[in-house]
Amino acid sequence: MESILSFCFAVLLAPLFPVVIQKVKAGFAGKQGPPWLINYYTVAKLLRKGSVYSTSTSFVFKLGPVVSFAASLLLLLFFPWVGIAPICSFHGDVIMLFYLMGMGRFFTILAALDTASPFEGMGAAREAFFSVLAEASIFCVLILFFRLTGSLSFAEFFVGTSVLNLMDAHGALLLLVVVALYIVMLTENSRVPVDDPATHLELTMIHEVMILDNSGPDLALIEIGSWFKLLFYSAFITSLINPFQADNVLVNGLFFYAVVTFIYITIGVVESITARYRMDVVPKFILTSSILVFLGTILTLGFI
Amino acid sequence: MDTLFVALALILAGGVAGLCLARQFTFMKLVTIATTSVGCGIGLVFTLPRLLSGVAVPAVSYRWLHIFTLSFNVDSIALFFLLPIFLISPLALLYSFNYLENREKKIRVGVNYFFFAVLVASMALVVMATNMITFILAWEVMSLSSFFLVIYDYQVKANRQAGYLYFIFAQGGAMFIFAAFALVYSHSASFDFAGFAAIDDFTKLIAFLLILIGCGSKAGILPLHIWLPYAHPAAPSHVSAVMSGVMIKIGIYGIVRFYLLLAPTAVIFGQITIALGILSGILGVVYALGQHDIKRLLAYHSVENIGIILLGLGVGMLGAASGNKTMAAFGFAGGLLHVLNHSLFKSLLFMGAGAVIQQTGTAMIDRLGGLLKKMPLTGKCFLVGSISISGLPPFNGFISEFLIYYGAFYGLSLSGVSFIFSALVIISLAIIGGLAATCFSKVVGIVFLGEPRDVSVPSASEAGSSMVLAQVVLAVTCFVIGVWPDYLVRAAFHASRAIPVIADFEVTRVMPIMVNVSRTAALFLFLLVVVTVVRKLFYVAKDSSQAGTWGCGFTQPTVRMQYTGTSYADSVLDFFRPFVKIQKKYAGINNIFPEGVSYDTHTEDIFASGLNRFIARPITSLLERLHWIQHGNIHLYIGYIVLTIMVLLCFL
Repeated sequence: MESILSFCFAVLLAPLFPVVIQKVKAGFAGKQGPPWLINYYTVAKLLRKGSVYSTSTSFVFKLGPVVSFAASLLLLLFFPWVGIAPICSFHGDVIMLFYLMGMGRFFTILAALDTASPFEGMGAAREAFFSVLAEASIFCVLILFFRLTGSLSFAEFFVGTSVLNLMDAHGALLLLVVVALYIVMLTENSRVPVDDPATHLELTMIHEVMILDNSGPDLALIEIGSWFKLLFYSAFITSLINPFQADNVLVNGLFFYAVVTFIYITIGVVESITARYRMDVVPKFILTSSILVFLGTILTLGFI
Repeated sequence: MDTLFVALALILAGGVAGLCLARQFTFMKLVTIATTSVGCGIGLVFTLPRLLSGVAVPAVSYRWLHIFTLSFNVDSIALFFLLPIFLISPLALLYSFNYLENREKKIRVGVNYFFFAVLVASMALVVMATNMITFILAWEVMSLSSFFLVIYDYQVKANRQAGYLYFIFAQGGAMFIFAAFALVYSHSASFDFAGFAAIDDFTKLIAFLLILIGCGSKAGILPLHIWLPYAHPAAPSHVSAVMSGVMIKIGIYGIVRFYLLLAPTAVIFGQITIALGILSGILGVVYALGQHDIKRLLAYHSVENIGIILLGLGVGMLGAASGNKTMAAFGFAGGLLHVLNHSLFKSLLFMGAGAVIQQTGTAMIDRLGGLLKKMPLTGKCFLVGSISISGLPPFNGFISEFLIYYGAFYGLSLSGVSFIFSALVIISLAIIGGLAATCFSKVVGIVFLGEPRDVSVPSASEAGSSMVLAQVVLAVTCFVIGVWPDYLVRAAFHASRAIPVIADFEVTRVMPIMVNVSRTAALFLFLLVVVTVVRKLFYVAKDSSQAGTWGCGFTQPTVRMQYTGTSYADSVLDFFRPFVKIQKKYAGINNIFPEGVSYDTHTEDIFASGLNRFIARPITSLLERLHWIQHGNIHLYIGYIVLTIMVLLCFL
């Protein structure tokens, strides 16, 4: 019961958090920022609308948003929110989940290429390349986690008494993981300094340019899917760094989401004070994360 | 065992019928395809139940030429490798019914069917062989028959060259197998395979390396893969499907078989295999990304998948050598299952590529586009094949990669170098998976989606019904294995029990994991259906209109402006630059009124150019100096023979 409630809570809250980023950025710019419920309004607006389809597209274009949404939703089903056992879980699920995310990305890319637009093709090529590097980092993280705990699922990482946490004996190694995961989060969710979702020029975008031709409920599915994905990554990092562990679920939840909010704030700060990297620097930025974690894994040889 | 020989006899009879009836074109095709397929069907009926039940089959042997013995046996590994042979071949033949439609070349088509049947039978015989003579005989017949299949269009010069290249690699590889056999024979003085286990550890390593080179040149392990990207575009597509899907796996079979026979205990065997797997896997897919010809691209993907199979086998060997049973069982089972999975989706992709080339007359990816609308079924099947080969769930490629991952993760509990190798396997698998997805999003996205990029390419229509049927069967199989992997995973684990270390590994330990994987796949499909329905509901009673693609403000877009495969892959290739040389020729805009602008890229395979520069050219220049021996004077030739015999007599 708790599992289902925590899952529903996460799904419902996912659209709320990205506003934190927008508010922080607005604060830096001396503006007010959008209302807190802006994303809910956006979804309601998009769902009311119809769509315009390009004459170049086929059924793959319509399948793209559906597959990527389903993959992100499935991810949330397997994640232990606030340390509560997730609805589904099995030994080895992390491998399958990250591959299912790959499936979602595969269809997003195909949908972009289906429009015959040179801009969307450009975005697709970048997304495909950068995600290869990010995936390598993720699997480095999984190697380190297996080395530390012998587990291969989110539930085993974060539920119960022997969980992975920065405060534990191996905290120093996890610090490297946290930095790496933060870089992966920025990459996978198309945030500055990898991608700038708010830029005015299509040539410099990655994710946003791929969905130029989507509209109406299709666009709503894509947006919700990307909020789920961002929430997942920040909850992943939160589970690692959250120092509070109370007996009460509600108090725990409050602390958990407070840390999640903190991570969104840091994203906002990063976006406000840095510019997007040049495209040829981005691979080096992402590779930094895998090198950090690989260093961590090698260190385990000495300690364990 | 007799059932298997009956099956092989039927397959050969189908081939002979192709030769005899070549004048009645359609009738010949029907008879050949039906007879050969029945033979393969009997083979499947024999193979499948024994694979799942694990009942032993008695060995048989025959005397040949009074002094040699031909002996045959099928253990669980052999049964597993028979599966793709009997499964893919009839489908490729079915595909060929509409694919080989040129009535003017009917004799040639008949000959093609004959050699096809010989290839299928000889592949089965290689797998069944249990002594050196039988193995090498079947191996040579396999190489020669596939050589004749490659040069089907022998009037084209490039195809003949591709054929010769393949011939050199096949025969050169066979030399190394001969060398390995000679090495073992010198220790055991017996042609029987049992002699392999009796030799000392160092000789075992040498023999294994020789086998790796010999079988590796057939399997297409980097850097012995050079014939693949030439032979596959030259061969007809149903032949490429069987050669890439099945025949190169016989090379893998050789590696597994001789690993088993040598029964080594050192970790170095696993480490070598893993290192080769990483090299083939990553560079195979990187080279694939750089290709412009769709069949060359698929050929490089065979190199990549051979790499994945080697990673699985290497994990298994490492696990077996270090006593880690979970690692060993999952590694071997994953590698073996990937053999079968790859044979399914790779033959599917080659068939799709063949249909595209037949319909459009070009294999150049950058000239195509928008074919999904014109060839809907071929396009959908190609999409399924692409997802499967990228290892994405819920399709079959994921299942075998998952098993290899699982084994490699359990290898992380080892210490020292073995740990590093396990970690490298995981990271390379992740990179290979990502790059394969990149490469196949390129192929599907450029060839089947968007708009046609070159207006001069003739308009295509759906391929012939037998071609489509073969592809649909393969696509459905890929999906079914992805969602219900139980039977084949069990078969793969049964097969890998031939390895002594994991002979007592309980398959029941694996099944709960597979149940969870298939449940997750089902859950994903359920979510897909629910989301699709919900999406449909939101579109009820709304007007969805059609318009041109949003050109970001540009009002005069043309199809030539679309992203091409070359531009799509450019940044990834740039990243791997030391290994991939891209030659760009750009005749740019020089005058006020630009004319004749051209842009041309070519991705150079550093192994092919290295081989050309450091091995092929020195050998040819050396041989040219010996040219005077070949003067065409028959008397002196007879003199050579007499001289050789005299010299040889001195040694006796």
